[in-house]
Amino acid sequence: MTTNINRRHFIKISGITGAGLLLQIPLAAKTSKRLSEAATFAPNVYLQIGTDNSIIIFAKNPEIGQGVKTSLPMIIAEELEVDWNKIEVRHGGLNPQFGAQFAGGSTSIKTNFDTLRKAGAAAREMLVQAAAEKWGLDINNCYAELGFVYNKVNKNKLSYGELAEAAAQLTVPEKPALKDVKDFKIIGKPIKNVDIKAIVTGAPIFGLDAKPKGMLTATVLRAPVYGGTVKSFDATEAKKIAGVVDVVEIKPTENPTVLVAGIAVVAKNTWAAMKGRHALKVEWELGAGVSESSENIDKQFITNINKKGEIQLREDGNVDEAFANADKIIEATYEAPFLYHATMEPMNYIADVREDSIECWGPTQVPGSVAGLGARITGIPREKIIVHQCRIGGGFGRRLMADYAAEAIYISHSIKAPVQVVWTREDDLHNGFFRPAGMYKLKAGLDKNGNITAWHINASTTSRGAFSGSRDSSHVTEVFPDGFPAGFVLNFRMEYTPVASVVPRGAWRAPGHNATAFVDQTFLDELAVAAGKDPVKQRLELLGEEDKMMPYRDHGGPEYSTKRLKNVINLVAERSNWFKPAPKGIYRGFACHFMFGAYVAEVVEISLLSNGMPKIEKAYAVVDCGLVINKSNALNQLEGGIVDGLGAAMFGGVTIANGMTEQNNFDDYRMIRFKESPKIDAYLVESTENPEGLGEMTLPPISAALCNAIYAATGKRIYKLPLKDNEFFNQI
Amino acid sequence: MATYTLNINNQSLKVEAEADTPLLWVLRDELDMKGTKFGCGKALCGACTVHLNGNPVRSCSIPISALQNMKITTIEGLSSDGSHPLQLAWMEIDVPQCGYCQAGQIMSAAALLNSNKNPTEAEIEAAMSGNICRCGTYPRIKQAIEKAIELSK
Repeated sequence: MTTNINRRHFIKISGITGAGLLLQIPLAAKTSKRLSEAATFAPNVYLQIGTDNSIIIFAKNPEIGQGVKTSLPMIIAEELEVDWNKIEVRHGGLNPQFGAQFAGGSTSIKTNFDTLRKAGAAAREMLVQAAAEKWGLDINNCYAELGFVYNKVNKNKLSYGELAEAAAQLTVPEKPALKDVKDFKIIGKPIKNVDIKAIVTGAPIFGLDAKPKGMLTATVLRAPVYGGTVKSFDATEAKKIAGVVDVVEIKPTENPTVLVAGIAVVAKNTWAAMKGRHALKVEWELGAGVSESSENIDKQFITNINKKGEIQLREDGNVDEAFANADKIIEATYEAPFLYHATMEPMNYIADVREDSIECWGPTQVPGSVAGLGARITGIPREKIIVHQCRIGGGFGRRLMADYAAEAIYISHSIKAPVQVVWTREDDLHNGFFRPAGMYKLKAGLDKNGNITAWHINASTTSRGAFSGSRDSSHVTEVFPDGFPAGFVLNFRMEYTPVASVVPRGAWRAPGHNATAFVDQTFLDELAVAAGKDPVKQRLELLGEEDKMMPYRDHGGPEYSTKRLKNVINLVAERSNWFKPAPKGIYRGFACHFMFGAYVAEVVEISLLSNGMPKIEKAYAVVDCGLVINKSNALNQLEGGIVDGLGAAMFGGVTIANGMTEQNNFDDYRMIRFKESPKIDAYLVESTENPEGLGEMTLPPISAALCNAIYAATGKRIYKLPLKDNEFFNQI
Repeated sequence: MATYTLNINNQSLKVEAEADTPLLWVLRDELDMKGTKFGCGKALCGACTVHLNGNPVRSCSIPISALQNMKITTIEGLSSDGSHPLQLAWMEIDVPQCGYCQAGQIMSAAALLNSNKNPTEAEIEAAMSGNICRCGTYPRIKQAIEKAIELSK
């Protein structure tokens, strides 16, 4: 970006902050000083430096617990050359100048890294130039360090604040010089969550905590069957509840990811809204969805995986001939359930729809979609819609859908008052967008040396793309034609058939991979055992001694490195002492995976309790995601992905009967608990390669590593998740 | 509607509410104390944990009418400045990911340490297994509790 010399980079801070933001924006790092009304140097949308030496850095993307509110500003601060403890981090609202603002696909760091470095470096260069001009020196005789520009000749220094006004007069450099990676002071260090103090003291920083003046609260009664509609309703009793102020019917949109049919009860407080909802009398048109069930879906899966797939995704070599010539053939059918997101902060959203503008607060992974829906529902132009970002109590893909924000906009538009829609846990579970369920039929041929000569996967899932109306092929994010071991087995076939359903589906942490890694990596383990091979050596043997770049035409591609995959495998083997006998009573399982540009290998150690049940003792993970920005949070993500993945593998699963989810709350949708969480050894490969995805990596293969350990301990193969649905596991 | 006088964080506060209103919504909606979180509404997840006379309870499932003459402590009252050993340890270990469940986690841990200065691993597990963290920060929560025990010595 180049601009003429003018005063546009010099602004009043009061003109930038959004009016009416009632959330407490927590102060960053150690500074307790709020920004004064001092004039500010703001060469781009990412940062502001005040003449009072205040420095604010803006985080552009939604913070769902993946840590970007800390790590994105770290990248800017690094190049800006400031003391991390003397800056303030704020969340930026929705603003086209930030470019794409969303949290999905583990992309926040990798897609913003270069832009943020340049944003910080441009400001630094301008400050150095301003100092050089003041001192009448060549810029090569000046350098920036920790918020000051130094004069190399006489050691004089000027603070960034002292230089702000002069820097604001300069042209923003188009190609600022970036630091050498070896000079990084902030990137790669363990930096604490910028909101940590606000979190541990209970400050109001989440969407559910926001409360604009005059805000009402709404709860919504939705159909007891997916796709159901309102035939008639009687709100007489609901309106008698003290505190209830209005009842609004929500008309559904054709696309069920936007609005479903419902009756909203608006009240002065949450409890009144809940009681009012309970008092509603609604007659529902259940619709065709009432016949949907898990049983019905499973039947379709079974039919599909036993016939030729609708979509032929890969055909290498001569698969039929290879099976005919195989020494041994092994077959297995795997099942993966619908999974619920279970964000700890239930869905909620605030909209204040006014005559010709809208102001919004709440948790969303897609603030831009909220603005789009606001425009669509109210007719108010997008540029008149302000979307504030709040800290988000978990995303995991659920908040890529903005249905609950659409409800808030719809209701506020209808009653002409600011309103917060609050979902109960039951609402949240019933109206989730679940990880698609699927069935996967695998068949492999081995030669007499135990080498895999043929591989055939026939998969059928309730494609999420097909549900949301995506233009992509229905297999996208369900199965991965270039995923390992594709390309390493000469005769390879992959086919796929989608299943349509009224059950809502969406992205769930590590979409697709969260099922395929379980399938591929447990089947490979079974083949290793059948061939009498060590599972780790089998994977290394498949990948081959020669290092190669393999084509990968999916998110995280266009290729992956066998060298980096072998490296994480070797490292996890070393860290877990894989090649030494396991301690007495300990059984181990291994799995590895490539996704979203990153490489992961994992080992799970279990023991058996006296009743024969497995106890997870320890998990090891090695991840290569290229350059790591925040070491503390990165390790936290690795640990969390393991715990989350183990929990989902053991207990996760939504079942459907009569067109609705059977589970209601955390009593019948079991989550992993503190006492079930194992010891974890998480390790990040030191790397200066481009940063890649990180937040979802350790989840997909951990279920396979666990199931492979269970086989090692018990001789029983797990083909169906969750584990609790396997007979021998149900005593837990 | 009735008027109740509650003792919250050593302050006597008057609240007008329906008798069946859960403490959680009294705190959040009537008193604007947002630190106590809504998670499940059925005492299943621990996000709304507060102390009642020093004992951990799920505020989503206790009506305001049952709270007369009880001493209520919320995350906002655990310390005036974030200096409780558990808060210090939580910051030191950099525990949270999304952070939403953490106030409840800290309140459960604080109740444990109030009654037991040196809990065993099994006692920690028992005290903390009612609090769900979907982000999976349990390993760091454990480290932080151990750190707080050390800081308290």
